[in-house]
Amino acid sequence: MSNRYYGEFGGQYVAETLMNTLAELEKAFEEAVADPHFWEQYNYYLKEYVGRETPLYYAERLSEKYGTKIYLKREDLNHTGAHKINNVIGQILLAKRMGKTKVIAETGAGQHGVATATGAALFNMKCKVYMGSEDIERQHLNVMRMEMLGAEVVSVESGSNTLKDATNEAIRTWAKEAEDTFYVIGSAVGPHPYPRMVKEFQKCISVEAKKQFLEKEGRLPDVVMACVGGGSNSIGMFADFIDDKDVELIGVEAAGMGIETGKHASAMALGRPGTLHGMRSYLLQDEDGNIQLAHSISAGLDYPGVGPEHAYLRDSGRAKYVSITDDEAMEALAELCKLEGIIPAIESAHALAYAFKRAKTMTKDQAIVLCLSGRGDKDVHTIESYFSGKGYLN
Amino acid sequence: MNRIEERLQQVQKKGEKAFIVYTTAGLPDMAGCARLVQTLDSSGIDVVELGIPFSDPVADGPVIQAASYKSIQQGTNLRKVFDMVADIRRDGCQVPIVFMMYFNTITYYGMERFVDKCIETGVDGLIVPDLPYEEQKQFQDVLDAKENAPILIQLVTPVSGDRIPMLLEHARGFVYCVSSMGVTGQAADFHRNVLSYLEQVKKVSKIPVMMGFGIRTAKDVAPMKHTIDGCIVGSHFINLMEENGYSTDTAREYVETFKKEMNG
Repeated sequence: MSNRYYGEFGGQYVAETLMNTLAELEKAFEEAVADPHFWEQYNYYLKEYVGRETPLYYAERLSEKYGTKIYLKREDLNHTGAHKINNVIGQILLAKRMGKTKVIAETGAGQHGVATATGAALFNMKCKVYMGSEDIERQHLNVMRMEMLGAEVVSVESGSNTLKDATNEAIRTWAKEAEDTFYVIGSAVGPHPYPRMVKEFQKCISVEAKKQFLEKEGRLPDVVMACVGGGSNSIGMFADFIDDKDVELIGVEAAGMGIETGKHASAMALGRPGTLHGMRSYLLQDEDGNIQLAHSISAGLDYPGVGPEHAYLRDSGRAKYVSITDDEAMEALAELCKLEGIIPAIESAHALAYAFKRAKTMTKDQAIVLCLSGRGDKDVHTIESYFSGKGYLN
Repeated sequence: MNRIEERLQQVQKKGEKAFIVYTTAGLPDMAGCARLVQTLDSSGIDVVELGIPFSDPVADGPVIQAASYKSIQQGTNLRKVFDMVADIRRDGCQVPIVFMMYFNTITYYGMERFVDKCIETGVDGLIVPDLPYEEQKQFQDVLDAKENAPILIQLVTPVSGDRIPMLLEHARGFVYCVSSMGVTGQAADFHRNVLSYLEQVKKVSKIPVMMGFGIRTAKDVAPMKHTIDGCIVGSHFINLMEENGYSTDTAREYVETFKKEMNG
């Protein structure tokens, strides 16, 4: 197996049309990674534009209530409100280096779309964002933001009209226009080298967190956790801890209305290995091998697959994956608002909910580091309708 | 000998060009689809490409996407398509049949079991657009281990460039030459260097070179007629069928006219 794989997962399951494009991308990526000047640029924009490093905040009241130390890696404080921008800066700098003039992206909730539109404006690139028509309706504010930033939002009406279909359409467009177009993938998914690239550009989360935790506690944390949709913030949060075998890594998937209802987004809990979007990984599939719709109150976790390295980390036993329901996540969200004055994204609230459960088995000297991947501003409508008992927009 | 290889040799011997039509399995319904395949056969088609509908057809344009979606909604699945192929073989239809499908459908069914079922029912070839050369080994090993296994058809594209010799080295059946970038069904908008590209493929290829993507009538391929060994029509045929209620008369007329014009 070459480095295109993580165990049996990963690979390049794309049309022949894209194979030379991927080879070109891989070469450019390897060269960039080996070039100190590239990292200088990347770090410059992360500091001056994104606002890194982000704090590792000791959540005092939460820690007190749950009886163990809870630290929050504040990715919600990044420009554009989530970790997505880290990766976008990296990929767009790479696109520039390769001489591309246009970028395309897929988006579900709109966070990666907004981040890409932001990066495109910053680096003067033309930007098209593919978004399912369902999502366009339920994430209208993000559509507006992308348009204000100069991006064209393309409504995708095929299949289920959601993220997976938007991704299909972005792949189709890419196959047609790869000559001058760079496809910015937002999650740790897709054909090689994308999962590797996304990890490289999200790794800053764990590199900072590790250093910060060492400064505060003089040791490594006991547990590191993050939510998992496709798995970008979690792979970034895990990256620098993977070799520290004593640190327990936990990925939290969305259990939606409950795994047993079938309405969930837990590819690891009930998925089977399969191929989608250029990769082999765990996928939700029906009895005919078609891809099933995922369900989660959080649009960012609403994806039927998971990044191939997570599939590998799970099978090799290095990381553990659990699921949290819509209700549990919303309860944790409310708690963080009240106890710490932080409104988290619903995605990140899934990790929080599990942290509260896990904390019960820990002592007051132990510590959890949790990736608070995004802020909840984008979710206020969903939160409002959930708590006012009208059901929610999903 | 494999039906595809046999048929294309016969066509070549006659000094003619081969014609392949794609239709989505399960449309208009299972029985109608079987009738359509039999009609295509008796109209002189050389190979029938049956699309196995998949929820996420990334290599397909809007026409085939819509057809796949409709077929899935009607309950089409791989098992039913195998049954249909078995039925038409039982009725004596010997037309070469190629499945156009996505890799997930194969792995979900199980590679071994899938290949066995292809052999048992009489599927002669496979086109798997999301299984590029580099990812084929495991599946190719399963195919190679069995007698009369279907041929895994190789696709080449206008940007394959220096990959072409590698792609064609062990290719069998025919080479599927994608004539434009992107997905199926973008009206005769071939890649700007299509002719020199086809010539390049033809020079390397030991097997028939079939051109596909965006072809509607024999006129579309007239300029490259002397380079290619035949062509494949997909989206346009689906459009034609959708507009004419999957009329077998329309299908027959289309195939006969196309073949006559292409070989005229």
